[in-house]
Amino acid sequence: MRLLIVEDDRKLAEFVARGLRAESFAVDLAGDGREGEAFIDAYHYDLLILDLMLPRLSGTELLRRVRKSRPTLPVLVLTARDATDDKVAHFEAGADDYLTKPFDFAELVVRVKALLRRSPQERADVLRIANLELNRLTQQVRRDGQRIELTSKEYGVLEYLMSNPGRVFSRTMILEHVWDQSFEGVTNIVDVYVRYLRRKVDEPFPVKLIHTVRGVGYCVRDSESAAG
Amino acid sequence: MNHRSLAFRLAVWYALLLSATFALVGTGMFYGLEQYLRSGLADSLRRRSTQIEQILADAPVDVSDGAIVESIETRIAAEFNNRFVRVTRERSGLVYRSGVPADRSFNPAAIPPLGPPWPARGIARRTGSVMESATAIDTASGRYLIELGASLEPIETLQAHLLRLLGMLLPVLVACAAGGGYLLVGWALRPVDRISQSAELMSLQDVDSRLPVLPSGDALARLSISLNHMLGRLRESVQTSRRFLADASHELRTPLTVIKGELQEVVRTETMSQALHDRIGSVLEEVARLEHLVSGLLVLSRLDVGEAQREWVDVDLAELSAGTAEQMRLMAEDRGIHLVSAALRPVVVHGDRARLKQVIVNLLDNAIRFTPRGGTVTLGAVVGDAFQALEIRDTGIGIPAAALPHIFDRFYRIDEARTRADGGAGLGLSIVRSICVAHRAEIEVDSEIGRGSCFRLKFPVRP
Repeated sequence: MRLLIVEDDRKLAEFVARGLRAESFAVDLAGDGREGEAFIDAYHYDLLILDLMLPRLSGTELLRRVRKSRPTLPVLVLTARDATDDKVAHFEAGADDYLTKPFDFAELVVRVKALLRRSPQERADVLRIANLELNRLTQQVRRDGQRIELTSKEYGVLEYLMSNPGRVFSRTMILEHVWDQSFEGVTNIVDVYVRYLRRKVDEPFPVKLIHTVRGVGYCVRDSESAAG
Repeated sequence: MNHRSLAFRLAVWYALLLSATFALVGTGMFYGLEQYLRSGLADSLRRRSTQIEQILADAPVDVSDGAIVESIETRIAAEFNNRFVRVTRERSGLVYRSGVPADRSFNPAAIPPLGPPWPARGIARRTGSVMESATAIDTASGRYLIELGASLEPIETLQAHLLRLLGMLLPVLVACAAGGGYLLVGWALRPVDRISQSAELMSLQDVDSRLPVLPSGDALARLSISLNHMLGRLRESVQTSRRFLADASHELRTPLTVIKGELQEVVRTETMSQALHDRIGSVLEEVARLEHLVSGLLVLSRLDVGEAQREWVDVDLAELSAGTAEQMRLMAEDRGIHLVSAALRPVVVHGDRARLKQVIVNLLDNAIRFTPRGGTVTLGAVVGDAFQALEIRDTGIGIPAAALPHIFDRFYRIDEARTRADGGAGLGLSIVRSICVAHRAEIEVDSEIGRGSCFRLKFPVRP
C-alpha cells in the first residue's frame, strides 16, 4: 500500500510518515501543492493525506483537480480549521474523511485503515481478550463466564477499547466516540467511567486488562508485561 | 416633554424673546399713536380757535352777541363736528356756548368755565374726557376768552382696540413661535436620532454596514462621516485582534500535533524507566491542557466572528439538558453529588444544538466541580411571558459578589486554587457567554458564598 502525504509542515509530515511506515505502509512526502500534483501524476497511490493550507497550490484546489483525474483515490484531509462549514465544503469538494489538528496519531491510523479497506469494516460480533468477552449483538459482557452488568456508557467505552486491543486510545478519541465533542477537555468524565469500568471488569480478577498510559490514554491488553 | 432637551430650551428662549419684543413694540405703538392723535386734535382745535379770533377781531365795537353767535355757528358748526366752543366776554360774561354734540360724547354745560387770570397765549387743559384749549384776546369790542374742546373718547377707544388686539395676538404668536421652534428643532435633530438608532443597531461584526450620511452638507453630515470613519478604524482594530487570536490559535495546532504525536510514540514504543515515563506523561498532560486551551480560543474567535446560522434548528433545552445530565450523572455521583433533573417543562429555542449542549456541559461541569460532597445540582425550567429560561442551581461554594461581574471574562479566575486544581482553562464561562450572545440569550447569575449559585439562561419567547 502506497500513501502520499502532502503537507508543508516538514516535521508533522515526517512524524506521520514515520508512524505510518511503522504500520508497514510505503509513504511519500510532498511539501507543497504543485509537488503533490506532480507525484500524483507520476505514481500510483492507494491513499492521499492532504493538508489544506499549502503553498503554491492550495490543498482545496489540489483536491478538486485530483477528483477529476483520479476519482477513486481516497483522500484524507488534515485541517486546522474545524468549523462545520469548512467540513461541509471539504466533503463537497471530494474529501473522503478529515481529521482536525491536533489529532491523535492512533486516530489517524484508524481512519487510514478504514479508508483503505474501502468496503465497510468487518465487525466481529464477539470481541475476546483473555477471558473477557464482549458480545456486540446482545451487548453482554462476560469475564470468566461470569456476567458483568455495565451501563450503556461503560459498555461504549469498553467496546471501543476492545475494538483494537493493544492500541492506546486518547481521552479525546474516547470522548468523541462515546460522548460527543461538547465534553472535550471540560471534564475528567472519561477517567471516571474508566474507573467504574475497572471496578467491574478488573478488580475482582487477578489479571488486569485495562491499562492507563499516562498522558496518552487507555488501552485493553492481554498481558501486563509490555511497557507502560 | 423633556425639560432639559435642546428643543424645549430653544422653544422657551424663542417664547421669552418674542414676548419681550412684542411688549416693547406694543408699548411704543400704544403711546406713539396716542401722541400722534392728540397732537392732531390739538392742531385742529388751534385752527378753529384762530378762526374765532378772526371773527372777534373783525367785529365792530358795538357788535351784538347775536351777530357773533351767528358768525361762529356758520363758520364752525360745533355740534355737527363734535366740538365744544365757548366764548366769554370779560365785561358781560358768556357770549356763546355750543350745544350737545352729535355723538353726545360730552355735556357742554358741565364743562366748568376757566377762571381768571385768562391766558394771553393758548393753553391746553383737560376736563374729564374733554381736551380743551383756551385763548384770551383783546378786540375793539372788549376782551374775550375763547375755549375750544373735543372729546378724547375716539382716541381712547382706538387705543383700547389696539391694546385688545395686541393682547390677543401676543399669546397666539408666542405660542406659534415656541411650538414651531420646538417642532423645528425636533425635526432638525431627527437625523441625529436616526444616526444614533443606526449606531445602536450596528454590530462590529457587520463589516459593510455604515451610518446614514445626510445629504445636508452641514455639521450633521460631517458628524455622520466622522462617525463612519471612526467606526471603520474601530472595526479594523477589532478585526485585527480577532484575526490575531484566530491565527495564533490556528498556528499552534500543527506544532501541538507534532509534540503530542512524537511524545505519544516515544511512550508507546521506547523502553524507559518508570521515572522518565512519568515525566513524559506529565508533559503530555500539559500538552492536553494546551490543546484544550487552543481549541477553546478557536471556538471563541469563531463565535466572535459570528457563525453561520445554517445549522440552527428548534432545540428543546429541557430535553437536551436532561440528556446531558444523564451523561454526566456518574461523574456527579463519583463526587458524591446529587444531580436532579426532574421532568422539566419544554424550553424550545432556535439555535445550534451542539453549541447549546456545550453551554449546558460547561455549566453542569462547573456546578459539579464547585459543589462539595453531599451537595445537590438541580436543573430547572422557567417559562415566563416574555422569556423562557433554563436554570442550573447548585449548593456549592458560591461566588464572591466582587467576582460576579468578571466570571464571564476570558481567563478570569476567582482564585488561583479553584480552577487550576481541576485543570480548567478559564475559558469555559466566556464560551458560555459568547454562545448565549450568539443566541440572543441573557445569562444571569445569583450566588451566595457558602450557599450556592444559580445560573439562568434566559431566551426571549419567539412571537
